[in-house]
Amino acid sequence: MSKVRECVPERTGELDFPVEGDFKHYEVFTQLEHGKRHVHAGHVDAPDPRMALLYARQHYGRDEPCVNMWVVPSDAILSANDDQDVIWPRTDQSYRHVRGYKDIRSRWKEFRRECDIEEYQKEDLKEAF
Amino acid sequence: MSLSAATEELKIDWSIQEDEDRIGEFQGRIDRRELVEPGDWMPHNYRVGMLRVAEHHANSEIVGALPEGEWITRAPSLRRKLALIAKVQDEVGHGQMLYRVSQDLGKTRDQMLRDLITGKTRYHNVFNYPAPTWADVAMIQWLIDGAAILNQKSLAEGSCGPYIRIMKRINMEEAFHFKSGEDMVLTLMSGTRRQKQMCQEAFDRWWWPTIMFFGPPDKESTKTGPFMVWRIKTATNDTLRQKFIDRFVPAALDLGLKIHISVKDENGIIKRKPDGTLDQIEDPELRYDEEAGHWRFSRPDWDEFYRVINGDGPCNKQRVALRRFSYEQGAWVRRTVLGQYAGLPPSRN
Amino acid sequence: MNTVPDNLKTPLVELLLTVADDKLMLGHRNSDWTGLAPILEEDIAFSSLAQDEIAHAAEFYKLAADLLESDPDKLAYGRKPDEYRCAAVVELPDEFDWSVAIARQFFCDHFDLLRLERLAGSSYKPLAALAKRLVAEERVHVEHADRWIRHLGGGDDDARQKTQAALDKLAPHAAMLFEPTIGQSELEAAGVYPAGKRDMFEQWSADLCAVAKDADVRLEVSRPPAGASGGRSGKHSQAFAGLLDEMCEVYRIEPEAAW
Repeated sequence: MSKVRECVPERTGELDFPVEGDFKHYEVFTQLEHGKRHVHAGHVDAPDPRMALLYARQHYGRDEPCVNMWVVPSDAILSANDDQDVIWPRTDQSYRHVRGYKDIRSRWKEFRRECDIEEYQKEDLKEAF
Repeated sequence: MSLSAATEELKIDWSIQEDEDRIGEFQGRIDRRELVEPGDWMPHNYRVGMLRVAEHHANSEIVGALPEGEWITRAPSLRRKLALIAKVQDEVGHGQMLYRVSQDLGKTRDQMLRDLITGKTRYHNVFNYPAPTWADVAMIQWLIDGAAILNQKSLAEGSCGPYIRIMKRINMEEAFHFKSGEDMVLTLMSGTRRQKQMCQEAFDRWWWPTIMFFGPPDKESTKTGPFMVWRIKTATNDTLRQKFIDRFVPAALDLGLKIHISVKDENGIIKRKPDGTLDQIEDPELRYDEEAGHWRFSRPDWDEFYRVINGDGPCNKQRVALRRFSYEQGAWVRRTVLGQYAGLPPSRN
Repeated sequence: MNTVPDNLKTPLVELLLTVADDKLMLGHRNSDWTGLAPILEEDIAFSSLAQDEIAHAAEFYKLAADLLESDPDKLAYGRKPDEYRCAAVVELPDEFDWSVAIARQFFCDHFDLLRLERLAGSSYKPLAALAKRLVAEERVHVEHADRWIRHLGGGDDDARQKTQAALDKLAPHAAMLFEPTIGQSELEAAGVYPAGKRDMFEQWSADLCAVAKDADVRLEVSRPPAGASGGRSGKHSQAFAGLLDEMCEVYRIEPEAAW
């Protein structure tokens, strides 16, 4: 092993210089493939934004192939919490979602044959259901 | 720069009175397996308990980087060298991520590092053992990382959102460490007589420390204590230990390794008898219990465990001293960059 | 060309080993910092850069091994000390002094970048392809080193003095990066190691001095004295024997065994 690791001076007791405090916190977002959204990957503490980006690249950019990266000062993020601050309204919201219109298919049946409805609904956006 | 909450605020205190409705609501969330996030209300002792768990875990990662770190400069091939650097780097990365959990719960990283190197906080006991040969690197990655994955898989079932997200990520990375360990052990045990011997001796050094890795035997109180109820911990020490034994005993035996009980000197090295042979016997209690479906083994040397945990292990002083050296040696560098950020106009950044 | 004429084979192997040895020893020294750097994030970053150096070295050893019908590990671990071709500046220990580690990066990364840019234009196709692939990574290294020199030089008196001392200490050794490899002029004439747009030493010196000026530190670099022979001819610093013994400690237990 390297000499320094082998012969480390043993020092005990309190440190003789003051508490330093932490660097600024940054949140890291990575985009793993072109066209996909950025997702939160982690965080770094860094002395300045450029170093934050450099650190993020060398840390989170090496976990898996990554095509783009953002770093954002953590204190630039404001958050609301559904616990205390209402985010999702407490009233019935089904009127603004597909799931609020479940009976449409049966209502069509009063007018059209099953196979025609089938053909017609092929163009419905599947992921909305 | 954020300053830490006053230290006294970060102590476990069961005499604190908190709103019972809120505590009840909180327990309800835990029982429904909802995750607790840093901005949420949480009982004081949950915050402190979680902060301690994450801090201890982070400390263990960065001290855990040291025994293997000694071998980076001596790794015997380019690929092994790269893999070992990446592995030790991951430990530092895990430490970095875990410190952030504790930072969010109220303590600065700087304070945590200072507490670690002045002996106010601890790290995992297992890193107080020496790694005198290359085969020890193989054993650390196979046994210790194998044990760590079992432990962390259970911790990933816990209730603290940021902690379990990191735990899942850490487990993904440890999976590579474990495979790399298996690769090294398999290589050594398929190698020359000397390599096999080296491997057996390293196995002898690490087997019992790994068994004790899961902590002391369960007491009744720990199974029903608040940390289990709040899902800071989700499995007991003995459960995890038995899981480990049942997986690793047959694997070790199939590899041709023998499970020994050895007499060690104060440096953690197995003593030799006057005739030059190692002072050890095969574990007399080792057998498969058909009825229970478990492997049985001798009682670990818990006296040794407590001796090491209380600071008298083979490497306690050396590990802390090296971390302290690193912190002291780097102080001027941190001071330089911290000072500049405070005073610099944005254009220069 | 995809194959090397016989008369250029030895000079080319010399060049490939020089690049690989420089990178391996630099990566080796830097990797020792893993777990001990001044800032956790920097620890991770510096370790990534050390991995890059060693991974680059492995690729250059592979090219040399193909020509020698050897294998990369044998070349990296199995030669006698005077068969290595690295320059003194990568051999020196840094004693965990961050200013020395950064000064070493600063000199070496700038040199490596210019060398890779030249190699990217090589008439020997496998070498050109490899250099093209690695040059972007080397730029990241240069960015890292430059940023740190600016940070440290822009610090308080203590920081600036430390940085100045480290640059002063390493500059004479760094000059020897430019010691020609054995047969280098033949490779240059054949386009295997083509010249850059500008004289490489002048470019290196200009790039370094621009950053040093920004960082408010003095920097004087010179070409190696005529006829000086060092690492490129197998003459190494005192520190090198120790470095090699440590690096090969396990390998030498059983050089023929798989590890």
